[in-house]
Amino acid sequence: MSGEIDRRGTLAFVPARFGDEVIGGAEIVLKQMALGLQARGWTVEILTTAALDHHHWENVFPTGTSEEGGLTVRRFPTVNEPIAERGELEGRIMRGEPVTLSEQQRWMNAGMRVPELYDYILDNKYAYRGLVFTPYPFWVTFACSQIAPERSVLWTCLHDEPYAYLDLFQPVFTGSAGLFFQTDPEYDLARRICSNLAPNAIVGCGVEVPEVYDPHGFRARYDIDSPFLLYAGRREGGKNWEQMLEWFAAAYERAPFDLKLVTMGSGDVNPPESIRHLVIDVGFLPDHERDNAFAAAAGYVQSSIYEAFSRTIMEAWLAGTPVIANAGSDVVSWHCERSDAGLTYRDAAEFEQCLRFLADDPAGAAALGARGRDYVLAHYRWETVLDAVEAKLVEWLPAPADVPEPTPVGGHPAVVDPADPAAVTETAGV
Amino acid sequence: MKILMVTPYPPLRDGIASYAVQTVMSLRAQGHEVTVLSPGPSAAHMHLNLVGARGAAALAKRVGGYDRVIVQFHPDFFYPIGAPAKERAMISAALTAAFRVATYVEVRLHEIDYRTGRGLSPAAVATRLMWSQVDEIVVHSEGERDDFIAAFRVKPERVVLTDHGEDFQRYTSVDKAAARRTLRVPADAKVFLSIGFIQPHKGFDRAVTAFGELATADARLYVVGSLRVDEPGFKAYLETLREQIEHTPGTELREGYVSDELFDRWIVAADCLVLPYRAIWSSGVIERARLYDTPVIATDVGGLKDQAARSTDVMIVRDDAELAAAMAARLAGRTGLDAPNGVVPARVVDTSDLGRPWPAPGERFRERLQAELTARASIVRGGPLGAVDAAAPGVGPAGEPDARALVARLTPVPAFLLPSTAGTGARSYLKKVVRRLTVWESREVAHQLNLQKIGTDKMVGVLTDQVATLQARVRELESEVHAGTDTDTDTGAGADVDAGAGAGTGEPRG
Repeated sequence: MSGEIDRRGTLAFVPARFGDEVIGGAEIVLKQMALGLQARGWTVEILTTAALDHHHWENVFPTGTSEEGGLTVRRFPTVNEPIAERGELEGRIMRGEPVTLSEQQRWMNAGMRVPELYDYILDNKYAYRGLVFTPYPFWVTFACSQIAPERSVLWTCLHDEPYAYLDLFQPVFTGSAGLFFQTDPEYDLARRICSNLAPNAIVGCGVEVPEVYDPHGFRARYDIDSPFLLYAGRREGGKNWEQMLEWFAAAYERAPFDLKLVTMGSGDVNPPESIRHLVIDVGFLPDHERDNAFAAAAGYVQSSIYEAFSRTIMEAWLAGTPVIANAGSDVVSWHCERSDAGLTYRDAAEFEQCLRFLADDPAGAAALGARGRDYVLAHYRWETVLDAVEAKLVEWLPAPADVPEPTPVGGHPAVVDPADPAAVTETAGV
Repeated sequence: MKILMVTPYPPLRDGIASYAVQTVMSLRAQGHEVTVLSPGPSAAHMHLNLVGARGAAALAKRVGGYDRVIVQFHPDFFYPIGAPAKERAMISAALTAAFRVATYVEVRLHEIDYRTGRGLSPAAVATRLMWSQVDEIVVHSEGERDDFIAAFRVKPERVVLTDHGEDFQRYTSVDKAAARRTLRVPADAKVFLSIGFIQPHKGFDRAVTAFGELATADARLYVVGSLRVDEPGFKAYLETLREQIEHTPGTELREGYVSDELFDRWIVAADCLVLPYRAIWSSGVIERARLYDTPVIATDVGGLKDQAARSTDVMIVRDDAELAAAMAARLAGRTGLDAPNGVVPARVVDTSDLGRPWPAPGERFRERLQAELTARASIVRGGPLGAVDAAAPGVGPAGEPDARALVARLTPVPAFLLPSTAGTGARSYLKKVVRRLTVWESREVAHQLNLQKIGTDKMVGVLTDQVATLQARVRELESEVHAGTDTDTDTGAGADVDAGAGAGTGEPRG
């Protein structure tokens, strides 16, 4: 297939944050995709902010252009002025109260903004064959994807959350060159939210397949001598971390079981006193050690309901580890049903039973988890996903006859549209 | 050149913001260093509340150091709505100081009340003084230019006419077939489109009414857009429009927040745009249609006739009868109004436009010349029509209206009670003279009437909402009586629900 693809022109990937230290599914996927496409012969750049943290958006990384991990990265400073009204508006949005369009606009602009990135894309939009944005709710995607919508593609990362239903985002969903979805449920959600989606395709999401695992070594290095449930990612309310801890404690208090809770990632742990001795935080791990942790676990818990794909359950399944997941996430429930390798829970009681299953029947749990690997390999190898992504990129983003070079950050261009906009793009259909 | 652009700016969804960013893009592409200052947080480099004398004073502190200051002007950016004359005078004085500090000030005019320059009151004098400090005032139609010069006594050479769509760029590259596929529009239908923010003065109901008279099976009219503000009168208008469309076969309301790309895709998908505005200054929609060579039927309001003259295929109609006839002619593949039913007067070709000066040398000169000669060719072919003789009467949709709908249907009074004329005969000359002499009085009357309509809109909206609330409360009480309960539902029911979700089931969100 690669021989048929016209890969001329530069692709810009535009996440709100980027870097090895950034924890976030969308950001990680975008980086892997950028590297994968670059390996296939595309010229790829990253346009992003200098921020590491998505709560305060402080400028941590140096601004300007640099080479990071084999990619050209252009970083721009964030502006994050505290505006009191934002908190009040955010509360109303999260409670599902009516919020007028003008209030939605004020809410969006009252948070983190990146005017210099906006200017850069304004100046250099014709220097890029396409700009790929993710995730949808951040100012960077909202504002910058509308500068050149005809060459902007959105990796949606859409969750069933209050933000998604705001009128504010309709232009992003309707007015882009294309939308990438990762799963059928994500696409179904998009259709429920928006009756007139831009051209789109479900392309899945790539997952790296580790060559070897070292579960025994992991246990030894962290001195873990009993079965454990693993949690990976950001420990925060939006991921239902606290609720899961409480339910874990409640289950243990009712009747103790031989199962610890190991967590890796970022955020405060704060376990209830009754299970403090059961909770082990191994912190932020390098990729190979993450893989080992997945292989060593008796089960992996996905407590979040705001999932557009959930890479971590794929990582668990690749390691042969069963998944227990919050049924509130249509996406994860869909994965569990399709793979036959995961359990879902709807409340504390169901969660408790999941824990007991893992603790009481390790062989059964292992058998459940074993089905997951085939599922991931069949659907979510990077090669398969990149084939689909490339096919849509060339369909939605016509190859330019000639393109000027992007200007350095802070430079001033003299750029005019070099491409004849007469080329036709069509609905991908799904 | 170092330029300061003062304007609303994206991602704010706003016509002036959209206009401004395209100008900024163009200026930056020419190598200028452009700094943007917006009234609120946005993608601009700075933001500043510009309203009031303090806003103007703050602006004065920021204009220094720039070779050129460009202000996208709408009075609401600077003057509080309903501000008394004394306050307006103070603000004008403060803006005068700000403009005086700047090296060179260009104001791009998007809307203004000409009455503010009339008379000898301190406010009027201050306003005229303020405009005298502006080096260049950019307008988008000849009519605006004439009126502005007359109202504010500004030297004519300072008031410059610019093509509204000068810096506009395409936001989509799809062709008509692909656009229709993606929008779920029948591939072989004749498609009319009314698009934009849904507000009474846009007159989309007139397009629906006119379409209803066509009695054709293979045509469609799509009304696309959303409310811009949650004014009761606007909401009522939308409700009425919904009902009207529901009862008019072949029409469809695609309600929603339309992105720039989607906006353009609709224009590509359409065979003809229908813009039956009741009031407007100039139309960005016409300029976007021009980008894609999509024909337009529009009413003769504001500066649309001037815009039409610069476009290849814009038909200006005088009233609803002509609107229907023009749509019928489009269906039949004609561009004129020679409809078969004979309800329309003979076509008038406005040749006076051919006498206007050609574009002056400057930026994008060839392009403007090309556009001009194309427009002139269009006039000769009979595109834009000539002078109007009567204001377009409002036509309400069928059905039983409620109070709000009735008010919403009141047609705004045109600013000119005596319409403009571009004719060249003695009668036309006399009309021009009379119009010039009476323009201020007629505008005053029209303005007051329209203010009264807006006030009535709001009052009826508020009262209707209150009645609806009371009715709902009565129904609640009735149902409680029937159920034999005397619980205070306002607090009791809420408490029960919260307890159920939080402690009873423990159901997760979502």
